[in-house]
Amino acid sequence: MLSLRKRAWISGGIAALVSLSVGTLLLYSFLNQRVLQRFDRALLDRHTQIVVALNSVSEDPALLGELLFDPDYQTPFSGRYWQVTGPDGQLFTSSSLLDATLPGPAEASSTLTILSVANPEVEEVRLAQQLITLEDGSTWTVAVAETLAELNAERLETRRSLLAAFALVAVIGLASVLVQTASIMRPLDRLRRDVAHRWDRDEDLSEADYPEEVAPLVADINGLLARNREIISRSRRQAADLAHALKTPSAILRNELSVLAEGTHDLDKALEALDRVDAQLGRSLARLRTANSGEATQTRTDLSHSVGRFARMFGMLAEREGKAFRIACEPGLTIRMDAQDVEEVLGNLLDNALKWCRSRMALTVRKQPQGIEVLIEDDGPGIPEADRAEAMRPGARLDTSKPGTGLGLAIANDLLQAYGATLALEDSATLGGLAVRITLPPERVRASKEPPRGQAAPQASRAGNL
Amino acid sequence: MRILLAEDEVVLCDQIKRLLSAEGRIVDVVHDGQEAGFLGSTEPYDMIILDIGLPIRDGISILKEWRGNGITTPVLILTARDGWSDRVDGLDAGADDYLTKPFHLPELAARVRAALRRSSGRTNPLFERDGVVFDTRHGRATVHGVPVDLTSQEVAVLTYLIHNAGRLISRTELSEHIYEYDGDRDSNTIAVFINRLRKKLGPELIQTMRGRGYMIDGP
Repeated sequence: MLSLRKRAWISGGIAALVSLSVGTLLLYSFLNQRVLQRFDRALLDRHTQIVVALNSVSEDPALLGELLFDPDYQTPFSGRYWQVTGPDGQLFTSSSLLDATLPGPAEASSTLTILSVANPEVEEVRLAQQLITLEDGSTWTVAVAETLAELNAERLETRRSLLAAFALVAVIGLASVLVQTASIMRPLDRLRRDVAHRWDRDEDLSEADYPEEVAPLVADINGLLARNREIISRSRRQAADLAHALKTPSAILRNELSVLAEGTHDLDKALEALDRVDAQLGRSLARLRTANSGEATQTRTDLSHSVGRFARMFGMLAEREGKAFRIACEPGLTIRMDAQDVEEVLGNLLDNALKWCRSRMALTVRKQPQGIEVLIEDDGPGIPEADRAEAMRPGARLDTSKPGTGLGLAIANDLLQAYGATLALEDSATLGGLAVRITLPPERVRASKEPPRGQAAPQASRAGNL
Repeated sequence: MRILLAEDEVVLCDQIKRLLSAEGRIVDVVHDGQEAGFLGSTEPYDMIILDIGLPIRDGISILKEWRGNGITTPVLILTARDGWSDRVDGLDAGADDYLTKPFHLPELAARVRAALRRSSGRTNPLFERDGVVFDTRHGRATVHGVPVDLTSQEVAVLTYLIHNAGRLISRTELSEHIYEYDGDRDSNTIAVFINRLRKKLGPELIQTMRGRGYMIDGP
């Protein structure tokens, strides 16, 4: 769709050009009209002058040339002429006509006629002609003419200066369209920046900061932000409720079956089926959780604080098992990831490390050029390189000697992918067992980027599978 | 050893109580947060099993209140929520251990034993003295390798004395830890249990401080 800015530019430009053109045309024809009227009035004055002169020398019209002493009448083809036709057809003309005659309407009329005529003998002229009846009853045709060259030159001059003015006004008009567009667009630009900025901090926008035309949009955006938060928290609550609703009965069922199994009943199949139900439940809840993570949430989390919580928890658990847990974390690290998601990742991976380590495990969190790096190491058996891809598969358990669902690593990986972070399995250089290296990318500028399509699709399909 | 079990699912409570009673534990059961908070603050429990999602009051806030009031009883939290955040919240609030539903009952029993052992400072689940061996995990005793039958009350008395070995235990304290909340407490019957234990396990194991109480020598 055409951008608002372009729309404003195009429509503003067209409006300015059309109004200027129409204005210029009207002004030009008005001025043209005025110039012609002035010209005709001067022509009329000279016609009157000749009629007056003729009246006094009608006895001897040849004297007319002396009475009318305008030098232009004496200079041949000066552009200003007169011509008088007597009652008997005698022709008297100004010297400027030499032996030429003025053209004119064939039938002279007693009303004054002014018209432009092309004269092959002289040049195009404006002609005023009238049939005059003197006091003695004789009728004369009196005509004056003046070349249009000067009038045309004046018209040309008018047109030129009008066009220059038009161009100047057009430039001003177009510039003001740009200024106006920028000033109208400014609140929208600010809205865009504000949305990006406040989205980060999970704040609402203030309607009072915007013009009344934009304020309803701001209110709608606030509504959307609130709804977004609400949807996420509601689906999480639903997942938690579902977990509670299903897990307690499952626990009861398992306990009853276990008691019965201690007797004579063979309930291995039933217990195995219940194991499958529990595993599927765990997997589905994990998927539900991942579907509500990533780009859907925009909160910022104090990573160092979460690491501190887990350091205390796993420090205590490791100590009970007589294992050593070393923690190194830079203070004040923040990431754009939901706190529960961060803790889900840390919990699952530290749980694995504690389960599999022989006597030592370590957690290192530090800032690297490519983002924040979280390294979880242990001195356990590790995972051979060939099996690492399989280890990431949900439900995969390479070694079933220790209890577990096989979901921890897959859940952590899914969650991290939803945020564009990476998880890699490596050999631990310091402890000799497995090293899980997480790289959380540096914080992105949200406004300029849409979530990558590739991530939205698997999330949707995961949700659809539930 | 007297245990408070706070869990709103009645059937699950019955199962847990059955299991723990079989090991000689005395179990008080409550189904809501208010009652749990009250009993936990007023009764001298040796351990508390606390579901986080209790009605009326949630487990975390009850736990915080107990810890704030200086109650150091070991607490094992049960949670149906998957999230690690819930578990860390629980441990941060002062819980000693957590268990996620659905759990295996033997796992719960093992966690309870471990928590009780930690709180008593004992690392070995087996108690041995002068040919008497008592397995605190199952409440089974042998004298010179010969199994001895103990009633559940005898197991309760013996377990409490062993967990508090080296400390003089009054009859009142003993009765508080071997009877249920609404049980018929008669401190005279304590003497009967002690006599029976002496007959079964030999007279030297439990010492009587006349008028003051009983004691098993420290480890």
